[in-house]
Amino acid sequence: MKQHFQIINDPRFRLVYNEHRLFGTGPAPRKIRLNREGFTMVPGVKKKTMVYPGMLLAEHPSLEKGDLHAPMYGVITEINARSVFVEAVDPQEQAPGTFPDPLEPVNLLKDGLEGEELVLAVKKMGVNTRSLGRRIRTLIVNGLNPEPGIRWAEPMLVEHAAEIRAGLELQRRFGRAEEIMLAVPTGCNVQFEGVRTVHVDPMYPNSVNELMIKEVTGMEAPPDVAAVGLHNVWSLGRTALTGLPLMETVITMGTAREWANYVVKNGSIVGELLEFTHISLKSGDTILRGGPLRGESLDRLDRSITKGSYGFFVVNAGEVPPIEGDSPCINCGACIQICPTRIDPRMLSRYAEFGRYDMSRKENFRLCIDCGLCGYVCIARRPVLQYIRLAVKKLEQEERLSQLTPIEPVSKA
Amino acid sequence: MSTSQNNDILLAISTPPFWHCGRTIRKNSFHTLVALTPAVIMSLIHWGLPAARVMALAIVVAMVTEAVCQTLMKQKLSQDNGTAAITGLLLAFLLPASAPWWLVVIGAACAMGIGRMAFGGYGANQVNATLVGWAMIFVSFPFQMDAAASLLQTDLIDPLLKLKYFGADAVADISLFDLLLGRQLGGLGSSQVGALLIGGIYLALRGVIRWEIALSFIIGTFLAATCLHFADSSLYAGPFFHLGTGSTILAAFFLATEDSCSPHRPLPMVLYGLTGGVLVILIRAFGSYADGAPFAVMLINLLAPMFALIRSHPFGTKPSKAGAADWRTRA
Repeated sequence: MKQHFQIINDPRFRLVYNEHRLFGTGPAPRKIRLNREGFTMVPGVKKKTMVYPGMLLAEHPSLEKGDLHAPMYGVITEINARSVFVEAVDPQEQAPGTFPDPLEPVNLLKDGLEGEELVLAVKKMGVNTRSLGRRIRTLIVNGLNPEPGIRWAEPMLVEHAAEIRAGLELQRRFGRAEEIMLAVPTGCNVQFEGVRTVHVDPMYPNSVNELMIKEVTGMEAPPDVAAVGLHNVWSLGRTALTGLPLMETVITMGTAREWANYVVKNGSIVGELLEFTHISLKSGDTILRGGPLRGESLDRLDRSITKGSYGFFVVNAGEVPPIEGDSPCINCGACIQICPTRIDPRMLSRYAEFGRYDMSRKENFRLCIDCGLCGYVCIARRPVLQYIRLAVKKLEQEERLSQLTPIEPVSKA
Repeated sequence: MSTSQNNDILLAISTPPFWHCGRTIRKNSFHTLVALTPAVIMSLIHWGLPAARVMALAIVVAMVTEAVCQTLMKQKLSQDNGTAAITGLLLAFLLPASAPWWLVVIGAACAMGIGRMAFGGYGANQVNATLVGWAMIFVSFPFQMDAAASLLQTDLIDPLLKLKYFGADAVADISLFDLLLGRQLGGLGSSQVGALLIGGIYLALRGVIRWEIALSFIIGTFLAATCLHFADSSLYAGPFFHLGTGSTILAAFFLATEDSCSPHRPLPMVLYGLTGGVLVILIRAFGSYADGAPFAVMLINLLAPMFALIRSHPFGTKPSKAGAADWRTRA
């Protein structure tokens, strides 16, 4: 009823696009920019180091985060606190011996590693694995397009099923869950060996993990069920099949009218991607990394597609009413009606607007699943989701600080 | 030329989501004005130029008052979003066509100044701004506000006054069709019941107003009137009479549904509407005012925060009753 009378009557929110083209291959980058925040550079990797595909550049201290590898032949031009810049070089033109022989593929499937050993091996291959904390009963692979506008899920399940099959096999060998299920849109008939397929109504926000779990199990936040994205399973499968570290990511690239899925190198510069897809920009357009509802807008064309990004879009000026900045909340209640977690985005956005982050606790801000619908329906064009994210971040900072023990001055007595 | 080196393009930075439903305050106001148009036309047919005079004056005064207040409060002027015009027009709908100019000016200025801007602006008021203005002039100038007393050159009668002073039998022969066509004495727009009904349904289908409120308001009126009618049909008129007279339909679709003054979750909305509908009949049957609808709406506006306290538990949390064990710790 809600959808017919009230808020969402947007056909774009149906997450099935009947898209079955194979993934295109992205451009060979002339330049890349890899995000190194949180990573420790490997000794010896510095400015002017020659790099080759699959070369380890930096390690992440966490077991969940994959290490950073160079995706192409090139030379490091700059390393700063946030990024590593690499410029492409042609290996043919270099003196022999500049680069070592291509990497020997590692067959993760044949090696027979299991459990934590496999997690470590996968981390060394550059794939992020989400830690589930403990062994759980059910792990659901979220086979829906994560957001409206993202269109790689269907071709991934059908045309690129080999990667998914290998990825699911690795997931099984992690041994983190007793049962693995695959959630696919209603009407999609895919079967993978050893994995039970379950169907979910493909209407956004059902593709958000928390709501997908609810659709599958019928319970809100059941204690021993967790979800993992299809994109991550594809990355796992990709490394298993190629035997090489993860150097690319699948993204949907496009505008409101045209789109296509590409496998692009990690760290590709968005300007080069725009050039490759012949998308022209005008002043006032917005470019965004991620999906149209939860992504982030980029300020410059030399930003890059980071590891694990799943989309890159151009929103032309005038497509959506502009956000005017400090428009006050008019209490229309659209966000309250649309919020799938039944919290009150209206008050949360106000608390953040006026700096009363402490008040957000009363309104269960932690239950926000980041679906972005509150901002989508806001007729005053307030950045509601951004306000909630701000409150979450501020409170997390506050909590981290409160956990530190204050240093007592050493008494002389 | 490569795009990656083109620095002439200035990109717009924004926050997610980058899609939008496309609805804005201005578009909602536009739809509301479209929905009010049939009633405007019907009132012009019935009352002619005097009605046009009252409506135009109310709209202009409302917008000017808003502009003056916003200037004084150092806010951005927002007359272009149309909300002030709607407040003015709705106020005019509640006035008789014969209302003197000063009455309209005072009403519209009070509605905008005290009803809305004193609370901070559009969407911050707790009670419907139109009704605040209406209540102030209704209580202060009862004679000028009474259509039956001030409109002498007409054959129409105010069915609610007839009901009040002559009982239900006297109004039994008034046909619903006449009421729908606006052949009754009352506010110049609020008496155009059929036209308002069409406009209201348009708004509900558009999703501009919340249909739960309008529907439950009408159901509340209907049920309460039916109960009283069955209890004593010589004293209390039937439900369709009450729906077709006074400003019941205007209140159900345009006044009670004002976003900032009503609850937003399903159950509170239904309770809010039902309470309003029942109050309309209670005020009409047992109160001293002939038309209870505007007062009923003001009362439920004040009750709205109470209704809003009824809410289900947020996602994945469980009610924590005193003494009850946590569900997860149970074996």
